[in-house]
Amino acid sequence: MKKRNYTLILTILGMFFIVPFIIAQDTADDTAEAQNAAAGKAVYDNSCAHCHGIEGRGDGSAAENLLPQPRDFTRGLYKIRSTESGELPTDQDLFDIITEGMPGTSMPEWETALDADERWQVVAYIKTFYEGFKESETTPKEIRLAGKIPYSEESIEIGKELYTQFACYECHGDEGRGDGTSAPTLRDEWDYKSWPANLHQNWNYRGDNDIDDIYKRFIGGIAGSAMPMFDDPAFGLSIEEARRYNQLDNMGEMTDAEEEEYTGLADKMENAFEILDIMNADEGDEEQRKFYEESMKAFYEKSWHLANYVKSLSPEKRPEAAIGKNSLRSQYVEGELPSMDDVVWDDLEASYFPLVGQIIIEPRQFNPTIDSVNVKSYYNDTHVAFLFIWDDRTHNTAEEENEDTGKTYEDAIAIQFPVKIPKGPTSPKPYFLWGGKLPVYLWHWQASAPEKTTELTAKGINNATIQDVQTDIQTESTYSKGQYKLWIKRSIKTEDKKDLQLEPGVFAPIAFSVWDGANGDVGTKRVISSWYSFVLEPIPSSKRFIYPPIVALLSLGLLIGLRGFVQRRNTELNNTNDENNRDK
Amino acid sequence: MKTRMFACLALLIACGFCIIVFADNHEEEDMNKLVFPEAYKIEAVANGGKISGVVKFDGEVPEKKKLAINKDPAVCDTVAKYDESLVVGEGNVLKNTIVYLMDVTKGKDFDKDAKVELDQKDCRFDPHVQIIPVGATLTVLNSDKATHNVHIFGTKKNNTSVNKQQPRTRKKMRLSREGVAKGPEGPVEVKCDIHGWMRAWVAYVPHPYFAVTNEKGEFTLEDVPAGTYKLGYWHEMCGTNNKEPVAITVEAGGEVKQEFTLKVKESK
Repeated sequence: MKKRNYTLILTILGMFFIVPFIIAQDTADDTAEAQNAAAGKAVYDNSCAHCHGIEGRGDGSAAENLLPQPRDFTRGLYKIRSTESGELPTDQDLFDIITEGMPGTSMPEWETALDADERWQVVAYIKTFYEGFKESETTPKEIRLAGKIPYSEESIEIGKELYTQFACYECHGDEGRGDGTSAPTLRDEWDYKSWPANLHQNWNYRGDNDIDDIYKRFIGGIAGSAMPMFDDPAFGLSIEEARRYNQLDNMGEMTDAEEEEYTGLADKMENAFEILDIMNADEGDEEQRKFYEESMKAFYEKSWHLANYVKSLSPEKRPEAAIGKNSLRSQYVEGELPSMDDVVWDDLEASYFPLVGQIIIEPRQFNPTIDSVNVKSYYNDTHVAFLFIWDDRTHNTAEEENEDTGKTYEDAIAIQFPVKIPKGPTSPKPYFLWGGKLPVYLWHWQASAPEKTTELTAKGINNATIQDVQTDIQTESTYSKGQYKLWIKRSIKTEDKKDLQLEPGVFAPIAFSVWDGANGDVGTKRVISSWYSFVLEPIPSSKRFIYPPIVALLSLGLLIGLRGFVQRRNTELNNTNDENNRDK
Repeated sequence: MKTRMFACLALLIACGFCIIVFADNHEEEDMNKLVFPEAYKIEAVANGGKISGVVKFDGEVPEKKKLAINKDPAVCDTVAKYDESLVVGEGNVLKNTIVYLMDVTKGKDFDKDAKVELDQKDCRFDPHVQIIPVGATLTVLNSDKATHNVHIFGTKKNNTSVNKQQPRTRKKMRLSREGVAKGPEGPVEVKCDIHGWMRAWVAYVPHPYFAVTNEKGEFTLEDVPAGTYKLGYWHEMCGTNNKEPVAITVEAGGEVKQEFTLKVKESK
């Protein structure tokens, strides 16, 4: 009886595994595309199905923890396209995404793992998941790149003005760090949280970050996300006219002449929008068509300026991590250390410490929102000052439960050092996740207490204690336009044996933990770095002028001494020889 | 021998079980959508019947929830706005329920004069639930001095979502979903991402036998050709009766009353 039960259970279980495969089998047409698709199935099942699901629904076994979620291919909604809003992507678009992956997501690049044929086969196969590819008779309408405006300071300036006019700041924030007032409530069509891009970190864009790509996102939107297809808010107006309109619009009181000018421009726009609707419905006459084409040309020009501006916000390429020649070197100053808003901080190039989600210990952070911490430092004879700068889209100062944004926590950062600097590069460092057998020393700062840094000692990520003796650590901080700045000043040496003691010229390990409360970061759920090292750059000034001459003088003295000694010896030897000769 | 028979039987049961499970899975999404006839033929209806009634709510009436306005207060927070996902009126009547014929295949044409408009006023969509004839153009108004974005969600059946920014300077915008929504579908969600609380629903329908209940929970379907139909409903929070539609017989020139009592559907 027992045995039969097993047979039954096993058979049922077996069917669960087999049936989906049977259902997923495609009834293949005899076209090349279908053959390609059939070949693509094998590649897909092997490489893609873990996340995208065997039936392409974005529900593979690994999907649960991923954000953004893997694409559901049965919906035919694709974010990164070179095609107009509402259109399907081109085959090349799909091929490019597979080849290059999607930065800032779990989608890796497949250029090395799959050869080009296999990638094209996968393209053919994923298209079978959505009927629309079969039904569409025409090829998707691609975004035209004609009339591109070259990248220049002038264009960037115009683009900056349009950034405000086009209301980009609503989501992307005044300075573009993705910190707009709408940012915390944005969700995609699958009801998952989605954050607007930080335009200062274009290496995290899902698609490429060339000006052409930025332009395409702008014209075509990002399907399924909150990023819409844009309209020119001053459609039918030139850049100058739009500027004037906005000027008048912001005026409290207008003279009669201004009022008239304002109404004139407003009417012109209203008329233009009407013609836009008419043309979109293919109902326009010749004259309307001409007006429409001119206005569209102006809109595309504006869009290029905007793309140039957005491009200008990020560095040319992702900064290199703070190792080797890019290591953090604290610079010596005589006298007072610069305060938080001293301009001398601008003289220093920041060292870039990239961060990743903590995925070793539960609860983990699989979908980090903080890219990095940038650090600058000065020291004098007694103290060292650091400036830590990191982008965070929201300013969370407490644990909160909110229907629109869910549960959020407090933003925070911890700067980690070993308690004792290892003797040499091969000596063991504490475990990078807040230590273990070897303890670490931490500066813990929380957004709720913006002028306080707490010293901790930790022997593990869940084993941190507040130090009994708190050394005086001066702290100042600001949050503005999507960016935290934290200024910390401490004496180079302290009385407390549990603190890090610094020594100019000696490299000390440093690591970071950062919490973005709006992203659910709390406790072990956070973004982290591994160990880097920094140094109080040895004082170059006076010693440079003292040591070399001393060395030179010493060498000279030694030479002279040696010469004298040799001469003397030779004379003595000669004398002895003479004496010997005489003896003979 | 007995063992083998048992295995065969098990296999059959498993097969059946799997089919049910998978079929169910595929239909999950459809259970929250309207049901449409395969084809609909327009013809004059002489002496049609009328179906009318009231939709009521069964359950604890939730307190009116005022929406938190976290943006553009000067434009958006001048009028108090409430969550409209469950609007229950006096006498437990339920607003914004779609009541419709699932399987009507012929009948009257759409009212050509009916406005197909969605207004954005005080950062609220009006109306909250709307029926749009397939192929009709939806005119979206922006009565606010604020930028909105009109985000009409896509569906599995008919592809792509529409997401168009509507600047404050653009008071009217015509949105055709034809070519995008090739056939009837919905209701689909409409959202303004910039003002996250703004929500509406639109359904693209192939025939005019649809009604949306008013503040008194009332609905009326007129000029219905005599016959027996499946009467369906849809409500944002209460779901549909797709599994058990009401059979209703309309006589020529007659009037039939039907009352529905809906409960909030259990979330998965």
